[in-house]
Amino acid sequence: MKNPNYPLKKRLASRFLKALEKIKYNMSPSPVSIEEKRRRHRAVRGAAYASMASSVGPRRAWSRALLRKMRERKRARRNPRNADTRFGLNQLCDVVPGGEAMDSRSLLNETAHYIECLVAQVQIMREILHSSSSSSSTTL
Amino acid sequence: MSSRKERSSRITEDEINDLILKLHPLLPDSSSRCNTKVSATKILKETCNYLKRLHKEVDDLSERLSQLLASGNVDEDTIRALLRR
Repeated sequence: MKNPNYPLKKRLASRFLKALEKIKYNMSPSPVSIEEKRRRHRAVRGAAYASMASSVGPRRAWSRALLRKMRERKRARRNPRNADTRFGLNQLCDVVPGGEAMDSRSLLNETAHYIECLVAQVQIMREILHSSSSSSSTTL
Repeated sequence: MSSRKERSSRITEDEINDLILKLHPLLPDSSSRCNTKVSATKILKETCNYLKRLHKEVDDLSERLSQLLASGNVDEDTIRALLRR
């Protein structure tokens, strides 16, 4: 019996295999942490659904729904720290200017510098206040 | 090494911990506590609190300075003396 899905299967296979190649290429050599294994698992699974959705395209409702989800995830990934919420830095990014757009490493580096700057600024302001109030005699 | 990981530079937990520990000496009261005993979570929390406190200080000092400006008591000699230090 002729399989009407053969071209689809071919498309699926070629997309999926390409995605697998990419995952393999980006794999780090052993030793592999548990987190890495989990990430790889997620990547393969994601590639499975992605190749299904992009092979079928917008022709079906289910594939449209998958494509929509993929686009949302891509946009979320553009925030460099969304993929990296391991370290509880979310509170910190609210207090450091520009923090929401920074990856973890940058955020911590920027925080250190920002603190030093704030401290210096506060010192200056205090000194101005102090010397002004001490040099004046008729303030009220 | 043929892996592309070097370029993607995914940050490791150790690296994050090191960076967080580096924040510790910047915090007030950090010298009065044994450095090796403070957890990264605590450092992060204290850093956030410290930053909020600093923001409030800048706010308060700005208020006082603006009052000072209004009363005309910030004279040039003071400022010049401060800049010279």
